[in-house]
Amino acid sequence: MQPIDLDPAQPRRDFLKKLSAASLAALMARAPRAAAAEAVHQPTATADACILLWMGGGMAAPDTFDPKAYQPFVKGAPVAKMLSTFPAINTAVDSIKICQGLENIAKVMDRATLIRSAVQPDLGSILHSRHQYHWHTGYVPPQTVAAPHLGAWMAKVLGPRNPVIPAFINIGQRLEGVGESEELKAFTTGGFFGSEFGPMSLPFPEDAMLAVRPPKGMDPGRFANRQAFFKKLVDQNPHRDLMSDYQQQSMLRALENAHRLLSSPEAKVFDLGLETKETREAYGNTRFGQGCLLARNLVEHGARFVEVTTEYVPFLHWDTHADGHSVMEQMHREIDSPIARLILDLEERKLLDRTLVVIASEFSRDALIEGVPGSNAQDQSNAKSDTLEEPKHYGLHRHFTGGTSVVMFGGGMKRGFVYGATADERPLIAIKNPVSISDLHATIFTAMGISPKTMYEIEQRPFYATLDAKGVAIKDVFAAG
Amino acid sequence: MNLPNPNFSLVFLRRLVSGMALVSPLAAPLEAADFVHEVVPILKQHCAECHTDMKQKGGLSFNTEESFRKGSKNGPILDTAHPEKSLILKVIVSEDEEERMPPKGARLSAKEVGLLRDWVVSGAKWEPGFAFKKPPYEPPLRPRSPVLPAALGNRSNPIDRIIDHYLAEKKLPSPAPLDDAAFLRRVHIDLVGLLPDVGELRAFLADPAADKRARVVDALLANKTAYAEHWLSFWNDLLRNDYVGTGYIDGGRKQISAWLYQALRDNMPYDEFVRQLVAPSPATEGFANGIKWRGSISAGQIPAMQYAQSVGQAFLGINLKCASCHDSFIDRWKLSETYGLAAIFSDEPLEIVRCDKPTGKPAVPGWLFPELGTVDVTRPKAERLKQLAALITDPKNGRTPRTITNRLWQRLMGRGVVHPVDAMQSAPWSEDLLDLLGSHLTENHYDLKQTLRLICLSQAYQSKAESFSELPQEGRYVYQGPRPKRLTAEELTDAIWQICGSAPAKFDAPVTRQTSGEGAAAKPPMVRAALLQSDLLMRTLGRPNREQIVTTRPLDLTTLEAMDLNNGAILDSRLAEGAQALVARKFASSAALVSYLWQAALAREPGADELQAAVALLGEKPAVSAIQDLLWGVLMLPEFQIIR
Repeated sequence: MQPIDLDPAQPRRDFLKKLSAASLAALMARAPRAAAAEAVHQPTATADACILLWMGGGMAAPDTFDPKAYQPFVKGAPVAKMLSTFPAINTAVDSIKICQGLENIAKVMDRATLIRSAVQPDLGSILHSRHQYHWHTGYVPPQTVAAPHLGAWMAKVLGPRNPVIPAFINIGQRLEGVGESEELKAFTTGGFFGSEFGPMSLPFPEDAMLAVRPPKGMDPGRFANRQAFFKKLVDQNPHRDLMSDYQQQSMLRALENAHRLLSSPEAKVFDLGLETKETREAYGNTRFGQGCLLARNLVEHGARFVEVTTEYVPFLHWDTHADGHSVMEQMHREIDSPIARLILDLEERKLLDRTLVVIASEFSRDALIEGVPGSNAQDQSNAKSDTLEEPKHYGLHRHFTGGTSVVMFGGGMKRGFVYGATADERPLIAIKNPVSISDLHATIFTAMGISPKTMYEIEQRPFYATLDAKGVAIKDVFAAG
Repeated sequence: MNLPNPNFSLVFLRRLVSGMALVSPLAAPLEAADFVHEVVPILKQHCAECHTDMKQKGGLSFNTEESFRKGSKNGPILDTAHPEKSLILKVIVSEDEEERMPPKGARLSAKEVGLLRDWVVSGAKWEPGFAFKKPPYEPPLRPRSPVLPAALGNRSNPIDRIIDHYLAEKKLPSPAPLDDAAFLRRVHIDLVGLLPDVGELRAFLADPAADKRARVVDALLANKTAYAEHWLSFWNDLLRNDYVGTGYIDGGRKQISAWLYQALRDNMPYDEFVRQLVAPSPATEGFANGIKWRGSISAGQIPAMQYAQSVGQAFLGINLKCASCHDSFIDRWKLSETYGLAAIFSDEPLEIVRCDKPTGKPAVPGWLFPELGTVDVTRPKAERLKQLAALITDPKNGRTPRTITNRLWQRLMGRGVVHPVDAMQSAPWSEDLLDLLGSHLTENHYDLKQTLRLICLSQAYQSKAESFSELPQEGRYVYQGPRPKRLTAEELTDAIWQICGSAPAKFDAPVTRQTSGEGAAAKPPMVRAALLQSDLLMRTLGRPNREQIVTTRPLDLTTLEAMDLNNGAILDSRLAEGAQALVARKFASSAALVSYLWQAALAREPGADELQAAVALLGEKPAVSAIQDLLWGVLMLPEFQIIR
């Protein structure tokens, strides 16, 4: 498939043109109103698209991107001495070590900026969905209005890069039938921006095609026939005198747009079945791996923001409350080759320079400390022991918010660069250049050409892209900065 | 490190972060003082008395950004070239009796001087739109029965007397009257959320009686089940009640569904309804208690503050969300007033926390309009809440009936007399109309059905919806008829089930439904979408996540919604079930099926072209799939989805 020609400046111009209409629409109902354009200086974008690789459940930094003193499983060894359960390995950058199990990612760390000092507030009680709400919206719940997701901000401010590819696509997370699903739904939305800026959800990448195909069991002929019939009804409608009516027009336009996407050549981009067996295998036979491949294709054809998750399900995947080490081995396998492959593929397609890829999680993990040192958060480990007696004791089973790793590739970031550091002895808190969620978001927004101070009004109050407009982009991580 | 107060995690984080910055070799970037949260309070405390509202001592007014930048009679107080030399910074530290500001009393503290200096040096950025001056409009609190202008002809409904006069004054024509079929469809959807069935439609069109519209309105309002199950969605949105959602599983939130359903069935008088929610019983406490989150939360979101916000927004149209962190800059409400309301509810004394920083000042329990009376702070909580409930529903309090009747007007007429409906401090487009609706409710013993009846019987309601090719500017709103509305997620879902007879048998709401008919013939009425948990389709179509109060559903169909309508699995299976059910009805011919569908969905017979196209699609022996596509085509018509 040939990449389409995307002019990154074009959607922005369209967006500005639409802005005046949008602000009128905003006055009509509860929709937000953009702040006066001159009030905020929008930075020059270093990225046109963003892929967020979400390690839902709390990715333990000491067992992934921030190795500390390695403690092998030795019966009777004190848990207090356990910092990492994997030895460190070399990467493409001499000074950067990451954990064993991530050998493929190690080879592409020369394309990465590694932030080791991300911190989150200790919310007193660890609840994954609450921290995930905070990470994805920049606002700690509860909020008095529904906060928009990071992807919704991009959809709202920047719009789609390609009009037939939805601006915000969410891959891999089921929102039905999993624990905390109501809480996940609360932030996986356009928030007060409205559903237009919310995500297109593709929980199963292999079924993504279904989202842009006629309904199941309806062949293309019938689908076209149905549309033709509908057009006839519209044309023959005795309420033709209302054809110039704004609401009627806007409804017909939305239906027309939808139909255009469903019958456009770009719909093929959603079909992983069109990929070769080799390509699909290179990304690994997992939902996350296939999600990365889908994200590559979507970005190549004009997606603005794509999130791919290892999927958050309470007590599964990164959310290790017992037996953490062996679960980590699986998680390493799940992410190692897909992420490395994604970076190399984007690079080969000359997309990496203008695509920001971010690996992040709601917090880290630790063998001993729940929250941060001194927190009164409840200990949630299911394998409590002072010494390593059984394999289930071996792992980082507490939720730790004092020092978390974030990896960023491409999109104007420095290459082979480490920002911030955590202590080498417990507590493994960020001791250099701590990065709050606001500042991390400010960095991502700035790379995408969105000022962290960008404001929309809701219920007559200002609401900013970063909390109180106070997020400050980390200048040091920008290649040009 | 122990956290003494669970509410200050954010502050704690900031401290942690700034503490860490000290060990960092790189200095943190200089941050300008925050205008709203840090600068405004200083200006308010030290300067506002002489430089805001009508006061312009020395020619200097802080009312607006423009007047602030213009400066005083001595010239600008900001030096844009050398901000650090600005006059404003000089006078706040000056020891010169002639020059110092404020001229008398306490000086600015060193910290305040520092904040102001940071702000000025970094460009004195003003919050867009922020103004110190009071809003030009302050709504009256007392109820008022407006003097009604003379009726035009037989248009004697008090609403029409006011609106006819309003239009005449503006030299605008009355909107054209609505025909019977369109009226019947609109009034059904508005009052019970259902379409008129075909038999009803035919009988109504054939009925020559002059009072037939009034009889329909009364019959619909008397249908307790249909009324309750339609308005349930409105109240669930307004009281943020749902069947699943954040907090329900771990006991941090409680439904009020059973109580609400019964209250709607019984048409509980609105004053009693409010009293039971404001001073709750176990059946209603879910509303008052809000959502209890695990772990620490922002000070503005503790349960007592949620209570103040919910009570303020739902019943009084007051947005206390701003004033939960600092004095509001969109209306006149102050932080201390929100805390006062919260303190009535709180089990323990509250300390006022400003932007997550404790102030050391205790909250003084108090209610927002002391001119109506006060709450005795020495009484126990249950009694305080009863007193508050009495003040909110005091017949001398016009704000409560105005707020709810304005919401009902908005639901029926497409736009509030006050807009938006949650900002009741805004000027109405007709004070007389707003006051009429409010006092009419009070005079009718707070019977909301009487308000609905009054509106539905007016010629204003029974006229054609406004039509425009571009969205008009809200700021210059002039009433020219009802605004078109869009079927809500629940109405669209119900309509499919109603047309096809394919509603599910089970529902999720924990309510007791009554059957109609007797003995073996007894059967429950159709299950309504409002009784079901939200699904992906309803969410896409605008049914809100009810963690927050949401009072207005989206008007426009978005492209993502349209995609879901085009190929979403839920709609597809609903239509497939619907088509099956229609097949089972064994229509005599395809033409008969088409005729039924047009009448049931659009309240009219198909035109010749339409009939021909539809029959061509179906063929003589229509397959289920063909019926499904026919249904889809009709349901996607703007004529079906937009209520005119």
